Amino acid sequence: MFILVCMAGSAMAQDRTITGTVTGKDDGQPLPGVTVVVKGTKNGTQTGANGKYVVSVPSGSTQLEFAYIGYATQTITLTSSNVVDVVMAIDLTDLAEVVVTANAIKREKRSLGYAAPTITADALAQSGTPSPLTALVGRVPGMNITSTSNTPGSSTRIVFRGGSSIAGNNQALIVIDGVPVDNSSVIGGADSRSSVDFGNRANDIDPDDIESITPLLGPAAAALYGSRASNGAVQITTKSGKKGKTQVTFNTSNTFSSILKLPDFQNEYGQGYAIDYDENGAYEYYNDSQENWSWGAPFTGEMQGWGQTIDGVRQMKPYSAAKNNVRNFFNTGFATDNNVSFSGGSDKSTFYLALNTLNSDGIFPGAKDVYNKYGVRFNGKTDFSDKFSAGVSFNYNKIDAKQIAGGQNDNSVFDNVLQTARDIPLDKLGDLSNKYNGFGYTDADGVVHNDKYGYYGSYTLNPYYIIENFTNDDAINRITGNVSLEYKPVSWLNIQNRLGTDTYAERRRTITPKFAFSPIDEDTNQSDHNSNGGYQIEQFNVTEVVNDLMATATHSFSDDFKGSLMIGNNIRQRTTSTNRTATNASLGLVVPNWYSLQNSNGPLDVITDNISRRRLVGLYADLNLSYKNYLFLEGTARNDWSSTLPVKNNSFFYPSVSGSFVFSELIKPNNILSYGKLRASIAKVGNDTDPYQLLTTFAKGTITSGFGSTIFPFGNVAALQAGTTLGNPDLKPEITTAYEVGTELSFFENRFGVDFTYYQNKSKDQILAVPIPNSTGYGFSVINVGEVQNKGLELTLRGTVVRTSDVNLELFGTYYRNRNKVVDLGDVDQVVLGGFGGMSIVAAANRPYGEFYAVTNQTDAQGRTIVDEDTGLPLPTATAQYLGSYNPKYQASWGANITIKQHWNVNVLFDTKQGNKLYSRTKDILAFVGVSAETGGQRFGLPFPNSVYLDEAGNSIVNNDVFYNKQDYFPDLNPGVNIIDGSYVKMRNAGISYTFNKSQMKSLPFSALSVGLFGNNLFIWTAKENKYVDPEINSGGATNEQGLDYTAQPSVRNYGFNVKVTF
Amino acid sequence: MNQKYIFKTKQLLFTVLIAATALSGCKKFLDINENPNNPDTAAPDLLLPASQAATGQIVGNFFQIYGNIWAQYWTQNPTSSQYKSVDQYNPAATAFDRPWLILYRNALINADLITKAEGSSLEYIKGIAYLMKAYTFQVATDAFGDIPVSEALQPSLFPAPKFDAQSVVYDSIFNYIDKGLALVSVENSASPGSQDMVFQGDMENWVAFANTLKLKAYLRLSYVDAAKAEAGVKALYATEPAFLTVDAAIKYLSTGGNENPLYNEMASPVLNKIQNLVASSTAVNHFDDIDDPDDNNDPRLAKLYDLLVTDSAAKTERSIPQGTYNSYTGKQVSPPSPLVGARANNTASATAPVKFISAAESYFLQAEAVARGWASGNVAELYEQGIQASFTAVGAGDATDYIADAPDGAAALGTTLESQIKAIITQKYYAMCGFQGFEAWTEWRRTGYPDFFVKSDASIIGAGKMPLRMIYPSTEATSNKNFPGLVSIDKPVWWDKKHQ
Repeated sequence: MFILVCMAGSAMAQDRTITGTVTGKDDGQPLPGVTVVVKGTKNGTQTGANGKYVVSVPSGSTQLEFAYIGYATQTITLTSSNVVDVVMAIDLTDLAEVVVTANAIKREKRSLGYAAPTITADALAQSGTPSPLTALVGRVPGMNITSTSNTPGSSTRIVFRGGSSIAGNNQALIVIDGVPVDNSSVIGGADSRSSVDFGNRANDIDPDDIESITPLLGPAAAALYGSRASNGAVQITTKSGKKGKTQVTFNTSNTFSSILKLPDFQNEYGQGYAIDYDENGAYEYYNDSQENWSWGAPFTGEMQGWGQTIDGVRQMKPYSAAKNNVRNFFNTGFATDNNVSFSGGSDKSTFYLALNTLNSDGIFPGAKDVYNKYGVRFNGKTDFSDKFSAGVSFNYNKIDAKQIAGGQNDNSVFDNVLQTARDIPLDKLGDLSNKYNGFGYTDADGVVHNDKYGYYGSYTLNPYYIIENFTNDDAINRITGNVSLEYKPVSWLNIQNRLGTDTYAERRRTITPKFAFSPIDEDTNQSDHNSNGGYQIEQFNVTEVVNDLMATATHSFSDDFKGSLMIGNNIRQRTTSTNRTATNASLGLVVPNWYSLQNSNGPLDVITDNISRRRLVGLYADLNLSYKNYLFLEGTARNDWSSTLPVKNNSFFYPSVSGSFVFSELIKPNNILSYGKLRASIAKVGNDTDPYQLLTTFAKGTITSGFGSTIFPFGNVAALQAGTTLGNPDLKPEITTAYEVGTELSFFENRFGVDFTYYQNKSKDQILAVPIPNSTGYGFSVINVGEVQNKGLELTLRGTVVRTSDVNLELFGTYYRNRNKVVDLGDVDQVVLGGFGGMSIVAAANRPYGEFYAVTNQTDAQGRTIVDEDTGLPLPTATAQYLGSYNPKYQASWGANITIKQHWNVNVLFDTKQGNKLYSRTKDILAFVGVSAETGGQRFGLPFPNSVYLDEAGNSIVNNDVFYNKQDYFPDLNPGVNIIDGSYVKMRNAGISYTFNKSQMKSLPFSALSVGLFGNNLFIWTAKENKYVDPEINSGGATNEQGLDYTAQPSVRNYGFNVKVTF
Repeated sequence: MNQKYIFKTKQLLFTVLIAATALSGCKKFLDINENPNNPDTAAPDLLLPASQAATGQIVGNFFQIYGNIWAQYWTQNPTSSQYKSVDQYNPAATAFDRPWLILYRNALINADLITKAEGSSLEYIKGIAYLMKAYTFQVATDAFGDIPVSEALQPSLFPAPKFDAQSVVYDSIFNYIDKGLALVSVENSASPGSQDMVFQGDMENWVAFANTLKLKAYLRLSYVDAAKAEAGVKALYATEPAFLTVDAAIKYLSTGGNENPLYNEMASPVLNKIQNLVASSTAVNHFDDIDDPDDNNDPRLAKLYDLLVTDSAAKTERSIPQGTYNSYTGKQVSPPSPLVGARANNTASATAPVKFISAAESYFLQAEAVARGWASGNVAELYEQGIQASFTAVGAGDATDYIADAPDGAAALGTTLESQIKAIITQKYYAMCGFQGFEAWTEWRRTGYPDFFVKSDASIIGAGKMPLRMIYPSTEATSNKNFPGLVSIDKPVWWDKKHQ
């Protein structure tokens, strides 16, 4: 931009006029907007819509330079000809010469004092995922991205450079075309123990519409977005039209999915349990046919009855393992993602219009895990005059989805699937009209009994019945977009105003059936299945309006020393409304099968009904200075006024300084170092808080007890009660300070590249609701306290190993390490981020953020398990222990990209996270019912592996003689035992595509055609002790409660094909 | 050729001016942080029901479960498992997080806010609030021993309230009762009416409640500080006090969320109407030992339990010994009746009352005061009034025959102080079955009566040890710098001199 402005200088004496056409090498199409400069002068022009240009060349000038974003710059030495046609090739090594930085300002990459890698549309397409965030995994170091199940619409959490906020949102700000968009994650269900993953909102954008994504990793990069970007920002630039002939592009991706990882099961023991046994291995089994337990007798293969006796008949089956009863329960999912776009423009205007549909039916049987998204995008820009232009960006999404619940309640399909004894042919119980499978029964005389069930289990519901009868609906309507006006009153000044909005309405409906079933077989001891039923509606309305007014002045102090100054004003408002209302909490529905709040048995349960509004006004300035194209300095300053802080503290100022030094410019051209840059930055970012944290308020009278509650109104008696949290009228803003230094180097004509960053950030005065003793009458107090520190390094290596005219092989790898520490928490030892009764995920002083805290088995100094001298069972620790953090110690990725004869492209990408911990309730429940592999083998008459017991003096005595019974141990594990190593290596993406060139399609109406096969989340290798789940799954959605597999939904592998055709 | 661009000073100034003007409107623009969802003030008559209902959850749910199991009226059902740790005398500290929270953050803070409210005609409601505070602090200290009182409920002054010795807590209780009594006794003030969930604004009953509570609190000190107890009771009687003749109770409704708290707990989606609580042989066989025709033959038994007959073919048991759930797997045992709110699958449980102080209890307290010679009156008369009040409360009719015939009836009273105390407390024990489990267990701790408790078969604490207090909650341990440390379950509280 800077260069363009300078080029508009007045013309000089002209000696000759050169004309020509610039075309692209890839598709032979004319390239509009290519900058043509007469070398050594300020003289230049741009190609028009047809790729043609006319330029005056003064006498004495001998070279023309052609530059275009994303293409290799070409210098042509003039001959006597006055016609110079140029074919420009895409620059494969450095696509991101120009980077979109904060507020959608385009900057030359070399001038940036901070890391700002760019991911292009091509890289996004390789992953084949419908989520733009998931597509970033493994591309850039410094990001920790977790996609909970890798299905369309599932939550994705994206954290840059460690979590710095104890209680706040640690996710990077998502910005589309300069306008921040909402990325809320509100898990469905009461909590993560009964969660429904309705996803988070950043996934609404269609990757096909994206031109590029630039993560701004540190706060330095994001200082101009203000406080919300203190965790960094993900900047998404959508496609815009190109001048010239209208292009129609159709892209279809069709994806199949299947479960990535299931637990390892034992195949030795079936339904029931041992009832009488002693150390000598004498025991007796009880084949209790209602059981979810698989602690019964070893398999014999003999035919025996199972389940209830109905109409005098009991089903028979061989007593042997139904080895694939869990895997076969699931189907192959299928999703089809189709996008058609129209792009084009005239000399004055460009447009891009795209329509998108995504229809998916996931791996659960039935149609209760479906996700349908419809979108339309329009981006347009027009120049009214030389001085005045306007642009619009508009996106509408409609989502209709149904999700299946995880967790531990009746409605959790996976939980009920896992609690199936190894001999039960679960996958054959799908026919609910079969009297042995269903709920409700027609007897031999044709009489219907809606209060009887024939299913075998007392402690589980038939998972097919759950899918059929429990529903979690989600409907979203969302509009995002902006209008911008640009005015250049004089050549050195550019004034731009951009008004953006993001507004959506989400409505979730949760249906829980009402039933009361007793077993058909009256002689069985099977118990009843009861549910009061329920119906809940949750409505979220979020509207953000953001306006930025920016004025940019540019100035050349001399040929070598140039500068620009931008000052801007930012105003934003966010309003939300949340309403969560359900049928009566204790009595549910009056009549079954009618799902309406009108069917509430007693007063409605208004769980949440609130609105909120916050505003912020910011003033900012950004000064850029450059010297000779190798020395760059940027300083930013911003002051915010926030409505959420007390008036006396609501104004806060924060500056940043960054610099870059392209030292390779000072070295003579050489064959080794092609490019070298050093960069450094220091930045401060202030942050406000949520609305309404200043005053202590009262709440509706609700006395919540263990599982029930007394809820007012009580008859005609209304009540209010003291609130939970003490407000604080003296809050001050949080402050994050960040430093980073880095270097970018490339060698051998850009064939090898290294990008290295070291950073350090510190957040203090965090606004936290810290737990205070309940004896004060309150539970929490909002205060400024605490400090969290992150230090880390990021490394990217890139090399074009083979570069011939036919084959291009590029290898790349990234490494990212973050060391995180909660330095100070004031008076409290720890703040709970999540977990449940037996296990907490905490931020504890002097430990990494996100530590697991639970009671576990006692071990001695040598790590041997201490068991009870009499029972041989491990002893629990006296208190909860810190058992590691969910944050990985390091992450890495490596990939390859091969292009053959411009037609074939083969790519593969692996990534890994190492050293992170995971709590797995899947492990716990499998141990409880005795189906996991660890419960197999010899179940009696062995000592606990690697165990000791203590003598009276407390010395360890190696245990060879005190035997334990697995049936006494596994059903009641200490929670710490279920915290396991969450490390993994994944084959994240692999794909192969073929692109036809023009000559191959002469007889076809296409200008471009490519077909490909792709896969993502394809294979996983987990730590040895994790024989259970993909460690990426999470019950806490995209919240700070991570590493929690509370029987979370299994993740899927995706594979499919796509076809992209341009007319 | 180069052209230098000059900043146009005027244009720049103009821009700055516009920005400055815009900012002056900022103050109003940003003044939107008043919470539209929750009020920041609350009238005292709106806080009172929250406070009373919270105490109702404690006495009627949490402590009802612990109390009725530890007083051996109920035990864990062999076919379910929710309260095994209670019968094992091994509840986790985390089990007391919620009751402690309800005590301080629902019951006490709201009562405290009422007492601090400003305005006229608030005497009655403030008096009731003081009495609720006194009653609730007594429940809390009887459960946990030393608890925060003097520094409690003042978060800005005392972010980490210290734990006061139980004797200090009792002094505060007497202080609150006196303050409350003075306020509820004034001639004229505004009645809280139906916002008072206990007496619906009947202030005579509140005066009687205050007197009865004071008697109860002094008698609790009868073994640890007999002189103080005697002086207190005598001073009370010098005022010619009226005592409760009706139950001080919250009457619950069948509407969802307004039900008896124990029933509401059992009917919740999690517990799903599973019957966890069943008849313990300790209580059942002393009401009526089926093998002994000459025993009490107490007609209240059939009202308090939905009795089953022991039948090995039908796999049913009338009752099982305390904590023997492992020995009766697969057996159905008599559950408590809906009358006491503990029958999980009978909706009639919803309307069972929660009794703070019962009429029968009032008579037994008076009988004890007289028996000890601290008050004038007729012990036998008060004792029989207590039994009759209990019979009336459970719908067991006229108690005359029972009083005359039952070994634990009139005959038990005897003439010595000890026999009279034993008879009074044992009868109080029968009267409290299912309704006031916590108070029955507490009176056993104070007096050692009834003397027929057994050790739970499921106990995992040492030989001869019984649960003598509740465990401090883990939330307080982790958040309060002045937390004194966990005290084990078998350590008696200060006033308990029978289990030293």
